[in-house]
Amino acid sequence: MQRLGAKLGFVSGLINQGKAEAFGKTLWRACKGHSIVTHAELEGPLEDPETGEVVKWYVFLISFWGEQIGHKVKKICDCYHCHVYPYPNTAEERREIQEGLNTRIQDLYTVLHKTEDYLRQVLCKAAESVYSRVIQVKKMKAIYHMLNMCSFDVTNKCLIAEVWCPEADLHELRLALEEGSRESGATIPSFMNTIPTKETPPTLVRTNKFTEGFQNIVDAYGVGSYREVNPALFTIITFPFLFAVMFGDLGHGFVMFLFALLLVLNEDHPRLSQSQEIMWMFFNGRYILLLMGLFSVYTGLIYNDCFSKSVNLFGSGWNVSAMYSSSHSPAEQRKMTLWNDSVIRHHRVLQLDPSVPGVFRGPYPLGIDPIWNLATNRLTFLNSFKMKMSVILGIIHMTFGVILGIFNHLHFRKKFNIYLVSIPELLFMLCIFGYLIFMIVYKWLVYSAETSRVAPSILIEFINMFLFPASDTGGLYPGQEHVQRLLLVITALSVPVLFLGKPLFLWWLHHGRSCFGVSRSGYTLVRKESEEEVSLLGSHDIEEGNNQVEDGCREVTCEEFNFGEILMTQVIHSIEYCLGCVSNTASYLRLWALSLAHAQLSDVLWAMLMRVGLRVDAAYGVLLLLPVTALFAVLTVFILLIMEGLSAFLHAIRLHCVYQITCLCIQLLRRERFLILTCMSIGWEVT
Amino acid sequence: MLGARCPGGTSAHRSICNSDSPPGLGIPRRAMTAHSFALPVIIFTTFWGLIGIAGPWFVPKGPNRGVIITMLVATAVCCYLFWLIAILAQLNPLFGPQLKNETIWYVHFLWE
Repeated sequence: MQRLGAKLGFVSGLINQGKAEAFGKTLWRACKGHSIVTHAELEGPLEDPETGEVVKWYVFLISFWGEQIGHKVKKICDCYHCHVYPYPNTAEERREIQEGLNTRIQDLYTVLHKTEDYLRQVLCKAAESVYSRVIQVKKMKAIYHMLNMCSFDVTNKCLIAEVWCPEADLHELRLALEEGSRESGATIPSFMNTIPTKETPPTLVRTNKFTEGFQNIVDAYGVGSYREVNPALFTIITFPFLFAVMFGDLGHGFVMFLFALLLVLNEDHPRLSQSQEIMWMFFNGRYILLLMGLFSVYTGLIYNDCFSKSVNLFGSGWNVSAMYSSSHSPAEQRKMTLWNDSVIRHHRVLQLDPSVPGVFRGPYPLGIDPIWNLATNRLTFLNSFKMKMSVILGIIHMTFGVILGIFNHLHFRKKFNIYLVSIPELLFMLCIFGYLIFMIVYKWLVYSAETSRVAPSILIEFINMFLFPASDTGGLYPGQEHVQRLLLVITALSVPVLFLGKPLFLWWLHHGRSCFGVSRSGYTLVRKESEEEVSLLGSHDIEEGNNQVEDGCREVTCEEFNFGEILMTQVIHSIEYCLGCVSNTASYLRLWALSLAHAQLSDVLWAMLMRVGLRVDAAYGVLLLLPVTALFAVLTVFILLIMEGLSAFLHAIRLHCVYQITCLCIQLLRRERFLILTCMSIGWEVT
Repeated sequence: MLGARCPGGTSAHRSICNSDSPPGLGIPRRAMTAHSFALPVIIFTTFWGLIGIAGPWFVPKGPNRGVIITMLVATAVCCYLFWLIAILAQLNPLFGPQLKNETIWYVHFLWE
């Protein structure tokens, strides 16, 4: 070898596990067998410095002979991105290098461990104070956010904040500013000024933790304008009540009440008030849930439905024995179809007849009679009852909304609105649907089993009220035709008043003003800002309706009187109201639909689960009953409580939107004076 | 026009109707648990009237007085109306419940 002038060369390095075989083959082909490759696997995977992955490495040692081959080998190594390390030729050098590397590895490990320990110490120290730090950061952020909303004044030395503040809180605001200036030790204190303005102030509704939930429900549809009546006050009771009418089950209502009670009693528990999403929603609505559960217990008592079973507290009003022929005298037996044992044995179902004396002994005092739970024609009776109940409740709810609107008009001193809008609305509603309620109650009171053959259907009578059929079927009461005609006339008269009354009245005011005293209208034009002067003006006028005239003229002269716009708004509002009356009354039938669905679901759950479990008589029946009861409980909670509860909740919200539309009115031309505050901040020097 | 109905308030009248049978047939006397109409009306009207009309006088003064009074009155009105509808709907039934024959035997035996 020495003679040929060629030396034995070595290349050592590391290569990826995946490329090792290909590397070997390439070397073999390139060097044509003039190189020897040995490789061994490194124990323990190491991290690849380029890609950061943890892979397995192979250590290889290539021994070659000749310089040309050496170049080729080095090029191939470069191609395969091996990590090449210098290979010392003598054994001592190798040993030295190995020891040196070992010591270096030890040192590096020590450094790494020490660094980790130090890191952990620092983090522990930081964790102790992180809570207070977070609060400090939040406070700073809030302060900067507040300061960002202020604006600079002319001198660029102070900050001005424009604020809406309720008049009742002005004094407290002043005190708070003084205290803040004092405590921060500022040289220049902040102060506030009130500024008169014509803008409409924002609506502030003060709520506590109980009323907040209900206010949120109402606000979800729309926030009332400044100083309008707040429908949320009544929603506190009507919303859970309408929910309960749809949910109506003693047992389920009680469970819901218990759950809500648990939430309310533990409302200070920190984990509850900071819980996530779904639990947070339940927690926020805990008072709503509480009331919903309570009312559901009551409606469940009235519907006589407890986990789909009825409770017989007072004894049923229906007497089966009286249907037997043995309970009656022979004279009576000839007049009616009565029962005896053979009749009962031969017929699978028999119907009690309330016209037989003694069968019906009076209405059940609290709610629905328990015998209906055992009857096969239960739904026929319940449907009729629930539909009529829904319609009655709905009409009363909507009428109440209109009456609240009257309070609105009274407050804003627009009496003409009451005569021209609210009264026609009330007449329209009551003449048609109030009459429907009258017919329902009349039929309940007057028609009984003896007259059941001739009892007219309320639906047909109501439709005939509008159709004027040629043949009269006898009607509900004598004189019905005339009464209905009168009601229709009143309704027909109130519709144009509703459409055109208010726009025409406002137009008359506008034009009437300009005809009357020029000096007077001139006076108002100049002096429209000060209220004292307007009231002085009012003292000249001795007519009644003085305030409205002033109001009307104030709103008329302050801006362009746009008759077209007012007319269009009123027409839209009227059409919405009239059509809405009909459609919303029908919409209240969802009270019936949902309570029917709930009762049927509950019934099915009982029949499919508990009854199967309770029917088994054998000794293993107990074992079967346990999982059946567990399944019953789970399904009750998930399907009946959560799913049905959410569904009824949603529908109750929908019904309250209806109620809100009728009671809130949109005030287009409202002018109210309010106060704006100006604050100066202290010591903010901008260099 | 009003029909031959017994107004519900006369429970005594009903019991006379029931025990009209001649003694010779040996019919057992039924329990006199006829339901009157007037009594529940009086009781419930008084109850909800107390809550809705007298209750507001006893609410203590405070920032929530208005809310509590509204709640009491609204509850009384809603609940009374609901109960009234339920009892009026059953006052004069136009048809009776349809029972299976097993149910008839059960009710005949157990309830009467």
